Parts: sequence; structure tokens; C-alpha cells
Amino acid sequence: MSKRRIKSRMLHSFLHDPSAIVGFVILVLFIAAALLAPLITPQNPYDLETLTLEHFLTPPIWMEAGQAPYLLGTDDQGRGIFSTIIYGCRTSLFVGFSVVLIAGTFGVIMGLLAGYYGGWIDAVTMRLADTLFSFSTTLLAFLFLGISGGGSILIVILAICIAGWVRYARTMRGSVLEVKENAYIMAAKSTGAGDFRLLVHHLLPNAIPPIFVVLAIDLAVVIMLEATLSFLGVGVPLTEPSLGMMISIGKNYIYAGMWWMIVFPGAALILLVIGINLFADWLREELNPKIQRKA
Amino acid sequence: MKKTFYLLIAIAVAVMVFGSSGSVLAASSLVVAQDVAPRMMNPHGDDSDAGLQYMANFFDGLLQRKGPDGTLAPALAERWERLDQLTWKFYLRKGVKFHNGNPFTAADVKFSFERLSNPDVSEFINTGKSIAGVETLDDFTVVIKTKEPIPWFANNMHQVFIMDKESTESRDPGDVMVKPIGTGAYKLVEWVKGSYVRMEANADYWEGAAPLKTVEIRPVTEASTRFAALASGQVDIVTGVPVELFDKIVTNPKLDVVSRPARRSIFLALNNKPGSPTADMRVRKAMYMAINEDEIIEKVMRGHAAPAAQIPDPPTIGYNGNIQRLKYDPAEAKKLLKAAGYENGFEITLSGPNDRYVQDAKIAEAVAKYLAKVGIKTKLDVKPKSIFFPEVTEGKLDFYLIGWFDGTFDMGRTYFKLAHTRDQESGHGVFNGAAFSDPDIDKLLQSTADIVNPQERGKVLQQLNKMAMVDKIAWIPLHYQEDLYAIQKGKGINFKPRPDRWMVYKEISK
Amino acid sequence: MAAYIARRLIQGIVVLLVASLLCFIVFRFMGDPVITLAGRYATFDQMEEVRRSLGLDKPVYVQYFRFLGNVAQGNFGISYVTRVPALGLILERFPATFELASTAVILSFVFGVALGVLVALKPYAVRNRLIMAGSLGGISIPTFLMGILLIMVFAVYLGILPPFGRGETTQVGFWRTGFLNINGIRHLILPAMTLAMYQLAVLLRLTRAGMREVLTEEYIKTAWAKGLPPRKVIFKHALRNALIPVITITGLQFGELIAFSIITETIFQWPGMGNLLLTSIRENDQPVIVTYIMLAAVVIITMNIIVDILYAVINPKIRYE
Repeated sequence: MSKRRIKSRMLHSFLHDPSAIVGFVILVLFIAAALLAPLITPQNPYDLETLTLEHFLTPPIWMEAGQAPYLLGTDDQGRGIFSTIIYGCRTSLFVGFSVVLIAGTFGVIMGLLAGYYGGWIDAVTMRLADTLFSFSTTLLAFLFLGISGGGSILIVILAICIAGWVRYARTMRGSVLEVKENAYIMAAKSTGAGDFRLLVHHLLPNAIPPIFVVLAIDLAVVIMLEATLSFLGVGVPLTEPSLGMMISIGKNYIYAGMWWMIVFPGAALILLVIGINLFADWLREELNPKIQRKA
Repeated sequence: MKKTFYLLIAIAVAVMVFGSSGSVLAASSLVVAQDVAPRMMNPHGDDSDAGLQYMANFFDGLLQRKGPDGTLAPALAERWERLDQLTWKFYLRKGVKFHNGNPFTAADVKFSFERLSNPDVSEFINTGKSIAGVETLDDFTVVIKTKEPIPWFANNMHQVFIMDKESTESRDPGDVMVKPIGTGAYKLVEWVKGSYVRMEANADYWEGAAPLKTVEIRPVTEASTRFAALASGQVDIVTGVPVELFDKIVTNPKLDVVSRPARRSIFLALNNKPGSPTADMRVRKAMYMAINEDEIIEKVMRGHAAPAAQIPDPPTIGYNGNIQRLKYDPAEAKKLLKAAGYENGFEITLSGPNDRYVQDAKIAEAVAKYLAKVGIKTKLDVKPKSIFFPEVTEGKLDFYLIGWFDGTFDMGRTYFKLAHTRDQESGHGVFNGAAFSDPDIDKLLQSTADIVNPQERGKVLQQLNKMAMVDKIAWIPLHYQEDLYAIQKGKGINFKPRPDRWMVYKEISK
Repeated sequence: MAAYIARRLIQGIVVLLVASLLCFIVFRFMGDPVITLAGRYATFDQMEEVRRSLGLDKPVYVQYFRFLGNVAQGNFGISYVTRVPALGLILERFPATFELASTAVILSFVFGVALGVLVALKPYAVRNRLIMAGSLGGISIPTFLMGILLIMVFAVYLGILPPFGRGETTQVGFWRTGFLNINGIRHLILPAMTLAMYQLAVLLRLTRAGMREVLTEEYIKTAWAKGLPPRKVIFKHALRNALIPVITITGLQFGELIAFSIITETIFQWPGMGNLLLTSIRENDQPVIVTYIMLAAVVIITMNIIVDILYAVINPKIRYE
């Protein structure tokens, strides 16, 4: 099957899969909102110069005590919930894509090298990967941030990357091992193509499709993880917007009946993750039925 | 048929699981949800009020502070006198027995005071090291000599609890940490860490057995969860009612709120290193005037705080009623900044804890907002207390939020820690985290060290207080906290909070 | 096999050494424990004295080797906060964590696998599509949010289940259990559901995927053709093979279970090990943190070895050279 054929077949299946379209649209909307945050929000909830306590804890606009422009109400520092959610999604998506990019790149390289060279490189990489995998990304990120004290978004990204690359490396290695045996690669090798050329021009493009599935799933996992870490107080600092932090603040108010502080950010988080997962489900079915096992 | 049977079973289980309500509480027992958990049952191992308040039920000091006012009263010592600048004599109570039946004597007092300076078991290193020697004249007379004059020595004697020498020495050290053997009004029944502490009244207590026969304390650190426990009737009293739930409790017909002005004040400390913007008096004044404390009290503290113009609270020796807060005036603040050459503001980092005081991080956020509005770009750096306080003692912060109150009701000790120039040798200024330094304050403060007479001390300390707050703006005071408790209404619970926030159960009845 | 296990054990020890060393290095940059240990009113000199008496004035490597020496004798150090041995402090909390985690694992395994099989057999039935939609929700709601939502619904609005703690417990020998009375079980419901939900959804999807793959295999088709009863085909032939990767991945991802139990315990103030860890992190109780990490590592490594051995037993084709 030529590449063009694959592409047109994928497009066709995408257009005939309503849940994939819904997922994709959700994701695109969130990304657009995050990018355009300053334009579409009535307030920058993290600009100290304009933020005041005057309208704090107001309910959503359709309720009796609601106030414009606070569509979904405000929190205890007078930040509009709607605006904060948009800015929070910005952080979520920034952390999500950064981790996917950094961990993905590193993991792909490690997997490529391990799969191609085998031997001790493979042994060492995969032992390390197995160990990190069994400790799990969540546990290692939590412990690292908890002990080091965290303190910035970059440290959060780094912490998630500690074990975040493993999934990519394992998938890539498996894929390389399969592709390596192809007659096509064998042929390229026998014509005396250099290692680098072989890796980058032949192995990488042929072995990479399963990585996209991992990437899509991972994006959802990382976004949930960032929210979890921020909720526990070891994630992004108080001065940065975060859905997890919003929920953690809102938690103090659930008995006070101020449900909007927790329901809206919670819903936004779930919606974003569902969107990504719907898209990932479709991608998985399309690209590599074998990857199904690794949820 | 089979289906109906399973359905019935399912219903029965559901009724059992969902139907049973909170356990019925017995008449002479009390269940309390506390905002802090005990760290250990070793009375010298935790010098925080959070820990001491647990110990005060199992142990007695030589003296005690009686609720609800906190007046100093005899306990294991019937009376005491100061023989000279360095010497204190205590006449001990006779016929007192420890929980294990051992008689209380002067040897136990000597043992307990000497134990204070052992870092393996004590956080009262400072008290321990300040003692030159403990002498037992007979079984019931003790003379304690201090190395330097400590005017507030007796004031602190409600915090130093007396342990049983024999059982403390003979038991395994680990056992001493978890099983208290004191002379106190309550005996420990069971301590399940993370779940509850159960205690029963000591029938042989020297003051007479306490009215409540059993007390169960459930440490619940999450504020909203404490509220849930109270609202569902699982507990009788909760401490540390979260301000955000206050209205909810007031409107609940089954609950009562008890509030009491707290001794602790919250304030901001500033450095005055030469060359830094905050070394300029005009800048200090501007920052003070830029902060809308009334709004903080109204919105952040939900009205449950009182504006402070100084660090000590009214009952403390050294409190000066003439000191007034600078009024909130952002326009004036801008003018002052302009005059000081900071028309375009400057950048500063505001540090603070986020798990120590009522709404601590929220107050810091609000302060950052006010300062931003007069042009001072404030970066927030709030963190857990375990990381924040070490930074304070390192003295490298520029600007931070902290709270304080002194258990001795004497400002002297506090001022040596907070205001005196940091000095390795004398050990002063340990909690002067912004390395504030002023020779006039140091000099006046040192002159108080030898004054013992409370009236005289009061005079000088008031003068010192005025100098620090008005002339030098050593700190920007914010407010005094308010302690909030909630209790079940109509159960006849007789509870009056103490100024030090200790929960002393022999003072509570039902 | 013995050589293989020995090698895994050596690897495990290396992991433990590295983990503990990393902890020690990181602690260097954390808050100084001496300040709380010496008490609020200690002077600088007194703090130094405390530092010396605890050996914290020594270089990190000296502290580290002394720590290793002590660990070899089963002594993990004394908690700074409670001043009792850290190991005992953590083990005391073990029953609470174990009861919560095992309940959740059983719940998620039973329901996850059962629903997974159900869905795989008739993927297009309406009911099964709903189940799949539910499972999508399950993997899209982070554990902490699930916990809060359950609290909001069952404890705040309906008021039928307790939102925190372990309730009444009974001491049976060294073990404190909450299974023996209704109150304890009521307290277990919400946290166990919270901890089980994500894993349940993951297992459901794994089982479904595995079953769908296996059901297309030749030998299953043969089994159908032979006219074997469906129950036998599905459970004896198909499920057994579909479950192998499910069990492997679950066993290898034990760290995930530990992490999620930390989160769940925190939300429900469950008096287990995870709750203790978070408190210790907040209070900078370094000996407890290190001990917890070492214990978690031991558990994870042991689980891995057990899974590997089981895998070899189930699947004799695998050889460990």
C-alpha cells in the first residue's frame, strides 16, 4: 500500500467515525482556546495589577447573585472561573505537549538505538526502562516533586519525563525489531548504507507509526497527571493557573455549597481528556491493532 | 425465586451499609475533631502548642495556665519564689501519683529538667541549656539555677511537663515515645496513629477526677472534612473551623460556634539591608499603606480576624495600646514611592508558608495584589512550613509573611528572636529571617534582660514596641487571628476556649 | 531459573542503592530538619549541637554509608517528627493500605475482566456500547477527581456514606482490620471505588482487546466448530490466553497502584502508608520518606520477579537464558 493510499484511507475512516471527529473537535477547540486565551477571556486571572477581591466567590452568571462578566462565577481570590479554566487548560496543554515532545523524542531515540544495535545498549536501556516502568511515571513524578519541592512548570515537565520516555522507547524498540527484518531494510543495508542513514531515513519512518498512538494516549495521561500533581500541591506553583489547583481550592468549598469552583474545572478537565482519548482510540484502531494491549 | 432471594439479601446489605448512622455518643464522653495530630507522646519532643496541648492532658507542669484566661496557677508546685536573678525555688505538691502508681517527688523534677537538653528526645533544647543546675533540697523542694537571668522563666513552666523518672529510664525509648506516663488528668487508653487518641479520666487526679470520663480525639487535618464530621454528628467539638464554612455552621440549627480572639498575630517582615529598596523608611511606609487590611479581614478572613498594629496581643507584657495602624491609602503610598525614587516600582519576592496559619497563602496572594497596584511587582513564593521555616532561620529572605505569639505572655523573648540583629554568638535573631538590623532596637532590647519587675518591664517593652512599630516599621502588622470552634448544640457541652488554643479536657464538661 | 532469580535480586539491590542515594542527594537541597528538631527558641549554637548529635554535620557520603550500614542491620533510622523507628511507623500503617488496595484490586479485576469479556463477545450491542462509553469515562477521570466527585455525591448531597477515615477498626493480633464491622466497611466503600475505577476501566479495555484478538484465532474457531459448549470455549480457551498479557501488565505496573493509593488515601484521609508519606513530605521527615521509598521499591521488585516466574510457569515457551 502506498503512503498516499494509507493517508486517504485514514481520512476516509476518520470522516466515518463520529467519535473520532468529536474527539478531534474537542481537542482543537481546547487548543484554540488555550492559544487565544488573552483574547477570549474577560479577565487575566493572574494579572495581579487588575485582580481584586471585590467580586470574590460570586456564583455563575445565571444564578441570582451572579455578576457579569464572570460567566461561571469567581473563586476566593476574585478570579473568574471561566477565565481561569482557559488559562489552566493552557498550562495543561503546554505541559502535555512538552512532555510528549521531550519524552517522545528521547524515548524514540533510545528505542531506535536499542532496537537497531541490540547487545549491551539494548540490555542496559531496556533494564532501565523496565525498572522505571514498574515504578510508574506517576509515582516517580510524585516522589521527585514531593522531595525536591518542585516550584515551577519546567520542573513538573521534567519530573513527568523521568519515566515518561519509557513507553515510547519500548514501543519504538518493538517496532524497529519488526521493521529491521524487512527485505527493504536488508537491501538498504547490503548496499552499504551507513548506520546513520539507515536509522534516520529507513528505520525511523517505517517504525514510527505506532508511536503516534502512544503519543495520543500519553497526552491524555500527562494532562491528568499534571492536574493530579497540582491538586496534591506538588505540581505547578500557586502563581500559575492549573485545573488541578482550581479543584484543590474548590475542594475546601464543597461543603459551603460553592460547587462551581469544582464542577466547572473538573468538567473541563474530563472533557479535554475524553476528547483526546476518543481521538486516540480511533488512531489506535487505525494504525496498529497490536498496540491495543497497551492501554 | 432465587432472584427474589438475592434481591432481599442485597436490600438487607444496603440497609445495613447505608442506613446505620453515626454512633450514639455516651453522656460523659466527648469526641473531638482536632486540626492537628499528635506527633508523639513524649512531652518534651514537640515544643509546638499543637503538640503541647495533647501532652497537657497526660502530664502536669510545675505550674499551669488556667482556662479560659490563661492565668498562671500552681500545679505540681504549690508555690514558687525567685531567690535572686538566677535562682528559682519550687515547693512541690505532696501525695501526687503518676499513672503507674509511682509517687511524684523532686527526683522526677530534676530528671525531667535535665532531659530537656538531650536532643534525642527534646525540642526544649533552649530551655534545657539555659539551666545551670537543678538541686533537690528534699523530696519536695527544688531549686533551679539558670545561667543568665531569665525574667520569664516561671511564665514558661506550664510548658515543661514532668515525667516519671523510674519508668522513663526503665522503659524502651520507643515505648516512651508512644505511651505517656504522667500525673495528668487523663490516662491514655489507645492511640491509633492517623485515626484517634482515646483517653480516660484519671480517678486519682490531684485536682479531683475530671468531669468527662472518656475523651476521643480524632485528628482531621483537612478543614472541610472536619466540618463534615461535625455536620454528620460524628463529633461533639471541632477545632479550627475553616473560615469559608463559618456561615454554613452559623445557619445550621444543630451547631454552635464559639470564637475567641487568638493571641497569634500575622505580619510581614522586611529586610533593611543598605541599598535595598526596603531600607528606605518611605518605601516601608508605602508598602504598609498600600495594603488594604480591612478588605483582607472581610474577604480573606471572612471577618474572623482583628486588625493588628503590633505583634504582641493585649495581655502580653509590652503591648502598647497607643500604637495605631497606618491607614490604607494607595495614593499616598504611590507618592511616598515616588519621593523615594521608586516611581516605577521595584521587584520583590514575598515568601510565606501555605500550611501554617489561617488562610496564609491567600493572605500572601492578596498582599501581592495590593502591592502590584502601587507598582511593586511582587513575586509569590509560598511553600510548606517544613521548607519555609528553615529559610527564615537562614536569614536570607527579603520579605515574608509569618505569625507569632509568645506562650510566656512576655514580649522580651519574642523580640530577641524576631527583632534583634542576627548574631551567631549570642544566638539572638534566629527568626529574624530578613536580617533586619537596627542598633537602637538592639540596645533598648538588651537593657530589658535584667529587668524582672513586670511593671518596669512593661514600661520599657512598650517603649521598645513603639520604636519598632512606629519609628522603624520593623514589620508590617496585619491582623490577629480568631480561633473558631464549633460544637453540637443542645448536648450541654460546656466549653470555653483558651487563649493558647490548647484543648485541656479537664476544663470541659458535658 | 535460580540463576535468573539471583540476577534479578542483584538488579533489585542496585535499584535500592540508587534510589536511596538519590534521596540523600536531594535531601541536601531540602529544608533543614535541625530547625524543628531543636525547637523554636534554640539559638544558632544549640542548633549546631543538635546537628552534631544527629550526625547531620557530616558530609553526605558519610551519612549515606552510615545509613547503609544501619539498613543492613534492619535499622532505617528514627523519624524526625515522631522520634520512633521509621520502619515501624510505616509498617503500622500497612494493614490500612493493604485492605484498601486489595479491595480495589479485586473489585477492578472482577468487574474489569467480566465486563471486558461481555463487551468483546457482542461489541455492537447497545448495552455494551454503553459499557465502553463508561470505560472511556473511567480512563478519562483522574483518580483524585473521581474521589472528590464521589464525596460530593455520596457524602455531601446524599449523605449516606462517610467521606473520610477508616471508621471502627478491630485489632486482631498485629493486624488492625476494618472488615469486621459495618462501620469499617462503610468507610471503605468510597475510597475503594475511587481507587478501583481507573484500573477497572483499563482492565476492561485490555480484556476486551485481548479477547477480540484471541477470538479470531484458528484454535478458537476450531473449538466452536467442534461444538464445544460456549462457556468452555470462552473461559477455558479464550479468556485464559487473553488474560496472560492483562495479568503481566497489571503486575508490572505495581508502582501505579502504589501511586494511586497515595492519592486516594490523601483525599479520604485514609490512615495508611500513602497518607503518612504525604504528611512526611510536608513535614520533611526524611528518614520516613527514604524508608517508604525503599519499601515501595522492594514491593515493586518482588512483584516483578513473581510476575516473571508466573509468566514462565504459564507459558513454558519462554526461556530465561
